Amino acid sequence: MIVKTTRFGEINLEEEDRITLADGMLGFPDFREYVLIQHREGSPFRWLQSLNEPSLAFLVVPPAQILNDYSPTIAEEEAAAIGVGADSPLLTFVVVTIPKGNPHGMTVNLAGPIIINPENRFGRQIVVENTCYGTKHSVLEGLQTFRQVAA
Amino acid sequence: MLVLTRKVHQSIMIGDSIEVVVLEVRGEQVRIGIRAPKTVPVHRKEIFEQIQSENEEAAKTQPEDVPDSRSA
Repeated sequence: MIVKTTRFGEINLEEEDRITLADGMLGFPDFREYVLIQHREGSPFRWLQSLNEPSLAFLVVPPAQILNDYSPTIAEEEAAAIGVGADSPLLTFVVVTIPKGNPHGMTVNLAGPIIINPENRFGRQIVVENTCYGTKHSVLEGLQTFRQVAA
Repeated sequence: MLVLTRKVHQSIMIGDSIEVVVLEVRGEQVRIGIRAPKTVPVHRKEIFEQIQSENEEAAKTQPEDVPDSRSA
């Protein structure tokens, strides 16, 4: 399928790359169909690109790439909503915010990760129950670690 | 907005499956219990709004600002 995007032009993706977020991202309930696009070869970052709105894309990253011990508590009903039990394997991503022109200002949202059931590719942005995780966690330190590992 | 006055241990029903109970009132803080079906996620409004506004910020992120591990 051809996907029109503002950031990347037209890209060709397989139907099985589709990810359905039944309730959309919080604040974006009208957009439910997405694809995950690798940012660059070898990059830990992915883009969660809307299939319906070319300009809508979220930069996401697996939390293990930037944090050693991210262990959100996920309510049973949140997991049940995408067809998995509380202990089933899940793909987890956190949403990244980079202020324009300022990569060092990068933050990740640990309070609202996206969980995806790899079996049916249904996903959901959830609100974690841990109050220790905020929406603007600075990743400068984690990023440097990542660079050292990559170097 | 519907406004109701309730005492401690009294509750209100929302539809026939969601119950909101006033558990304790202490000064300015009110403890509230919510009994709802598992299919109804219940969250504090402020965290919900924080994530919404963070999503709006995140959606402005541009590819040229993403650090490239290979060039680092």
